[in-house]
Amino acid sequence: MGVVTRKKLFSTVALCAIVVSLFLPIVMALPSPATGEEAPVAEGAPKEGEKVEKARDVYYKTEGIVVGAPAPKTTDSPTDYPRYNFESRVLIWFANQQHLYYGSFVLAVPIFCMIIEFMGVMTKDKALAKRYDQLAYDFIKISLTAYSLTAILGGILIFTFLTLYPTFFAYLSSIFRPVMHIYALMFVAESGTLYIYYYGWDKMKEGFLKWIHLSMSVILNVIGTLLMFLANSWIGFMMSPAGVDEQGRYLGNIWHVIHTALWNPLNLHRILGNMAFGGGVVAAYAAYKFLAAKTDEERAHYDWMGYIAMALGVAFLIPLPFAGYWLMREVYAYRQQMGITLMGGLLAWLFIIQATMIGILFLSTNYYLWQALGRMRGAERFQRYIKYLVFLMACGFMVFITPHTMVMTPAELKAMGGQQHPVLGNYGVMSAKNGGINVIIVTTVLSFVWYMRGNKVPTVSWARFGNIFMGVFFACAYINIIFLAIYGYYIPANVRVGLSVPQVASTLSCLFFMFALNSLMMKGAKQLGPIEWGKISARSQYALIMLATAFTWMMGLMGYIRSSVRLFWHVNEIMRDNSPWAYTHTVGFAANVISANVLFFWISILFVFWLGSLTAKKAPVEAKVGVPGAIPQPAGSH
Amino acid sequence: MSALNNPIIAVLVSLVIAVTYFTLIDHYLMEMQGLDFWYLFRQ
Repeated sequence: MGVVTRKKLFSTVALCAIVVSLFLPIVMALPSPATGEEAPVAEGAPKEGEKVEKARDVYYKTEGIVVGAPAPKTTDSPTDYPRYNFESRVLIWFANQQHLYYGSFVLAVPIFCMIIEFMGVMTKDKALAKRYDQLAYDFIKISLTAYSLTAILGGILIFTFLTLYPTFFAYLSSIFRPVMHIYALMFVAESGTLYIYYYGWDKMKEGFLKWIHLSMSVILNVIGTLLMFLANSWIGFMMSPAGVDEQGRYLGNIWHVIHTALWNPLNLHRILGNMAFGGGVVAAYAAYKFLAAKTDEERAHYDWMGYIAMALGVAFLIPLPFAGYWLMREVYAYRQQMGITLMGGLLAWLFIIQATMIGILFLSTNYYLWQALGRMRGAERFQRYIKYLVFLMACGFMVFITPHTMVMTPAELKAMGGQQHPVLGNYGVMSAKNGGINVIIVTTVLSFVWYMRGNKVPTVSWARFGNIFMGVFFACAYINIIFLAIYGYYIPANVRVGLSVPQVASTLSCLFFMFALNSLMMKGAKQLGPIEWGKISARSQYALIMLATAFTWMMGLMGYIRSSVRLFWHVNEIMRDNSPWAYTHTVGFAANVISANVLFFWISILFVFWLGSLTAKKAPVEAKVGVPGAIPQPAGSH
Repeated sequence: MSALNNPIIAVLVSLVIAVTYFTLIDHYLMEMQGLDFWYLFRQ
């Protein structure tokens, strides 16, 4: 048997083994088949002759046999809440947040790798294909060290739960026992696949083996996504419990426990958020390397890497507010009071901070794109129009961050005649804010379209009509979004809430139709000059770092908001939090803890990057093949 | 295609397409939610 055939056989067997391992946890979770043996009685399940107790599911309203113990009623004692001379909640907050940052990063980066590796396989330009492949390899290399740290942080998190919140964790693990085991097994499968994927890169770089390698990245991401879904089921259960009765007794249906009211919105929101966050972190890494680069070659490579990471991140950032909107809608549908606490009550000011961060994210992205036009000859023609985009962005941003009511002294309150400002107060409602954010997103789409056209002029016979149509379509989209925002003031609230859907559709229409139209128009377009990678202002790189920092801060903020909406409940309306820390922190304290988390994450990830750079120095010369030169032209990249 | 490359015709055609499209999504996406987009105009 030849070496190549042996490699093929081995890699195919490895792939099959990975696929099988993917199903193994499910097989293990199945009930044992009837083999004549007496099945072991499940713990908590009624024994023979014992009266079967039935109860009603708090969410699904179905009847089920009680197989679990009621949720414990905790007291403020060392048994239920052992502690150090420090607030336990802040410790668990810190452990959770750090694990989540790294978890998000290591789930997002392999998805990028998969996309970039696929682009490399599909592209016909061999030099470009090698560069994509090298880029994907660089990405996975960064995530590998971070992966170990994620596992360590996961261990720290579990120990923190066990030592500081033992009663609550015992209850949660009694409900989620099979899920937690499946989670652990999936983690093993994920680790195995990741290591084969990384270390097999050079061995499986061509032909059939490359496809096997690519398939492994798909499986790696399927496992990673499932892991995240399982972890989401725990927080979904804590916010909107299901599968238990009103005393918190498990009713035997594990799917009900997993599939809670908020599980799917959380899944979507988190996967998009992770991708945007991962893109931001890799873009910041590239920006740092760009700023520290000593040669034009290095600058060109890291400029390109930063652009790709930013573009992927922003591709997921654009739909993120809509996923967030869906999540909030489901929160309102589940418990209206919870929604009001979030957006109109105790936590509303945090949403103003969140709106500011979202605005900063989009402003930074646009600023980067406008700066990036500078590396293309022919893009000067767009420069004079940028001020109009700045105007639109600024207007949308100001409306988006306007609070409904102000925090004021009694004298200020008296001078203004009430809590609401007579003019600005009008912008504090959802109708205006939906208009504001949609204007910001449409403007970002427009910036992208300009960037894609930077150094090109369409040559298709219908170019003039295409340009006019695009201009008119964007103008009509802006008018429709703003009209719907104003219209919302004149109709009742129950009709008004529905207006957000056509507003979102207007934005998404611009995104999909205008990108498609632009791509059609750019086929065979005349190039005015090459893209001069590396020839971009340092300011643009700081914008990328800003983008990543804003992502990190916003993730911390939103995690805190989502968690603190439970107020004094461990599990909403089922298990009460009786620790001394069952209160909502001040906005200032929460912001300080979030900032400390962000700072710690960035310091530790810099360490990870530094470790990665140590390996890079030892990399064989062959691995450097394909690093872009001073003036590369990855035409297919955009 | 040559007629469409006339700026006035192009603007008119684009306007008709875009206005119709956005009116349709406003109307049908509200209807799908069981809501009346023309609520104010029917009063």
